Amino acid sequence: MDVTTVAAAVSGSLGVVGYGLAAVGPGIGVGLVVSKTIESIARQPELAARLQVTMWLGIAFTEALALIGLATPFIFGA
Amino acid sequence: MTPTNSNELFARVLRLGSILIAGVAVLGGAIGFFAASVAGLISALIGAAMALVFVSLTALSVWIGGKLPLGGFFGVVLGTWLVKLIGFFILVLVLKHASFIVGWVLFISIVGAVIGSLAVDAIVVLRSRIPTIQG
Repeated sequence: MDVTTVAAAVSGSLGVVGYGLAAVGPGIGVGLVVSKTIESIARQPELAARLQVTMWLGIAFTEALALIGLATPFIFGA
Repeated sequence: MTPTNSNELFARVLRLGSILIAGVAVLGGAIGFFAASVAGLISALIGAAMALVFVSLTALSVWIGGKLPLGGFFGVVLGTWLVKLIGFFILVLVLKHASFIVGWVLFISIVGAVIGSLAVDAIVVLRSRIPTIQG
């Protein structure tokens, strides 16, 4: 049985796959933003306030993708 | 007025973001009303309200978390993010089949409000003059 046949036999809601993809990307993105901020604050603790503001901007842009991804059920069918 | 510390910056971001999303709600509500009657108006208002809560909670969590020790900061910011996403997911499940929702109006309202507030965030941060070391 080749891969195409196996993939064609998969059944269920594609919306679940869509939700998974909408969560994975921003999850990785926010994780990277936070990990780099922790590294930076560990190296230069006196910059913490500025780094936190920069981190917030990074998270805001990344999570916008999650929000738009999660809102797609309103325009795509069941 | 240029924000010179993080308190001023977040207060300004929240204020300007709320004004912008109120504008999106009014514009989206008008378009929704003409396109899909009362259901369109309600959808636009709900979409703008969802975007306002989602976007404001991020700024609030960083603002409040910034007053805590480093562990508390990341706990508050990431915990809020998780709770917010789960809450949004549940809201989508509840609203998806509601009879008073026009999907495309709600979607456009959310996307417009989020992108607009990102622009406001970026402009406020770029114009801020936060000193490297704060007392």
